Amino acid sequence: MRLQQLAHPRHDYSYAFLDEFAKRELRRRILKAIAIPGYQVPYASRELPMARGWGTGGLQVTLAAVGPTDTVKVIDQGADDSVNAANLRRFIARMAGVQTTTDTLAATIIQSRHRIPEERLREGQLLVLQVPVPEPLTHVEPSVTRARQMHADADYALIWLELHEQLVRYRTFTGGADYPVVVYGRYLMAPSPIPRWDTPMLHQAAHLTLLSAGREKRLYAVPPYTDVRPIEFEDVHFQVESQAGRVCAQTGAVNRFMNEVPQPDGSSRYILSDTGYAAKLVRRTQGEVVEIGATYYDEQGRFYHTEFLHHDD
Amino acid sequence: MAYVAARGGEAAIQEAEALFRRLNGTLDAGLVQQIERQLPYLVDRVMSEGSLYAPELAALAIAQTGGDLYEAILLLRAYRSTQPRVAYAAPVDPATMQTLRRISAAFKDIPGGQILGPTLDYSHRLLRTDLLDGDAQGEVASEQPTTPESPAILNSPIPPVTEWLRLNGLLAALPPQPPADPALLPDVTREAVRFPAPRAQRLQSLARADTGGVLALGYASMRGYGLIHPTVNEVRLGYADVLLEHPISGVRFSAGRVRVSMAEVVSSHGDTLELGYAATLGWNEVKVIAGAMLDLEMDKPNPHPAHDEEFVLYHTEPVESSGFCIHYKLPHYVTFSSNLDALRRAREMAAEESE
Repeated sequence: MRLQQLAHPRHDYSYAFLDEFAKRELRRRILKAIAIPGYQVPYASRELPMARGWGTGGLQVTLAAVGPTDTVKVIDQGADDSVNAANLRRFIARMAGVQTTTDTLAATIIQSRHRIPEERLREGQLLVLQVPVPEPLTHVEPSVTRARQMHADADYALIWLELHEQLVRYRTFTGGADYPVVVYGRYLMAPSPIPRWDTPMLHQAAHLTLLSAGREKRLYAVPPYTDVRPIEFEDVHFQVESQAGRVCAQTGAVNRFMNEVPQPDGSSRYILSDTGYAAKLVRRTQGEVVEIGATYYDEQGRFYHTEFLHHDD
Repeated sequence: MAYVAARGGEAAIQEAEALFRRLNGTLDAGLVQQIERQLPYLVDRVMSEGSLYAPELAALAIAQTGGDLYEAILLLRAYRSTQPRVAYAAPVDPATMQTLRRISAAFKDIPGGQILGPTLDYSHRLLRTDLLDGDAQGEVASEQPTTPESPAILNSPIPPVTEWLRLNGLLAALPPQPPADPALLPDVTREAVRFPAPRAQRLQSLARADTGGVLALGYASMRGYGLIHPTVNEVRLGYADVLLEHPISGVRFSAGRVRVSMAEVVSSHGDTLELGYAATLGWNEVKVIAGAMLDLEMDKPNPHPAHDEEFVLYHTEPVESSGFCIHYKLPHYVTFSSNLDALRRAREMAAEESE
């Protein structure tokens, strides 16, 4: 026997790029993550043909989960047509031969950076969130070794202290995106840098959310119908970003997450962050019959789990 | 070209790449061969950080990326991660590898001798501007590249200097243990590193680490932030056989030779010497010396970052560090607007208070 015979015959890439060993490892880790909601499961994290920190964690989960009958949607900051989303989408389509879509309702897998769509996801849909920093304790405990111990002990005192310090210094919570949540009453979890507007969407959701950090080599999950609570005090509550007074210049929509677009005269203009949703609204006003799903927030800005959000004002 | 293209993100990607190609000249097999032949140290750096010994592919990666090393390393790593593992090679024994260069700073002379080998260490670093005018000839390269068969290479075994140190009781004897089974070694490419890391993973991580990052942290400890007083016990460059076992007959055979470099650093600690070690595929002297020093430092008590294995290994990963750095070019307007919202709210609160 010769060395050449031991090696694989030269072939093109495997289906969905990752070899079967990598897929098996990822699928096992994903099952473990689902079984322990919010727990960060380490995985080997293969290098992919795009830069680390550009969604390779989410991409590995998508590639391990995708099959020929899937329909994939990819968004970045809510936009289907950003250069980064387009790049990821064409890679997934090229390697897995799947249909792609910008319609949240039509997608079976949605890979996203920094947003959850405005239309409610349903059972059977998979949301894959790209995660830059999986460790919610990083800001209070940069050592991964010590942070793991704190999770094991459910010792989150430093996070509560930080929250309290914010109140003392600023009279309000100053956390922006990636607001820490507690999953199933147990693990503190970084929901990835989604705006606080999106945080409640993870709570008792019908769909499965998988969060994956390629660079940090950890993935975790929020299974369907799981409690997800942002950290807050009994008397001072978590607040989503105020969208009050913001009207989408393109669609006239209100009480959706808006992009603030600075204008030359110093003022601001607002447009919907969720471009797939915006496109459907536009098509409907042009007289097309378009199916638009129920949204997480109604036109008055009320969240669909009516008891979830408190307003301190 | 819109950054967050309103439409046509894919067209923008293609145009951007086409422009990159136009500015960087034509790619062809000749260029790749020339890089492999004439820039071996660059190729070795990319192979070491790319964690794949493949000179031709490394040269191709350098050519294809216009010499952007982090991009070249990523190309090689991404290719590597598609390759199955077909066999495990036997560990390389430094004593029997074909040594081309081997020096010790710890002793004037050493068993086996000081071998300067190919180096610019003692040359005058003067730019040969006369070459630019085209009227002078560079040194004529020999027709034959130096190969393991060249007479310059010593094929007789050269014992490592540590052997002499051990014989004299200056360095702790190696604990008796059965020969390592390569298939059972924890592998950083197959499982995530957990800290404290097994030594195998630590040395693998250093072998793949970013040269500049290893140097920066190693240099910080050399300059005075360190707790060790290191001496270079041995630096060795050479060719090592990739020894495999025939799957049927069990006969050991060489599947080829690779360039390897390694460094041993010793430091006195009380009444004993401690040993630090690093090795890479390819000839990467600066990296193995700095890496061997970090190998020693990483066991020391905090607070200097170089004493913390987690700090050193996380932050010298070239693909992860460079990738995360450039990811800040991606749009962040949603997270930024979320921060602005929190900031405006804090200001409102402050304004209310001052009223």
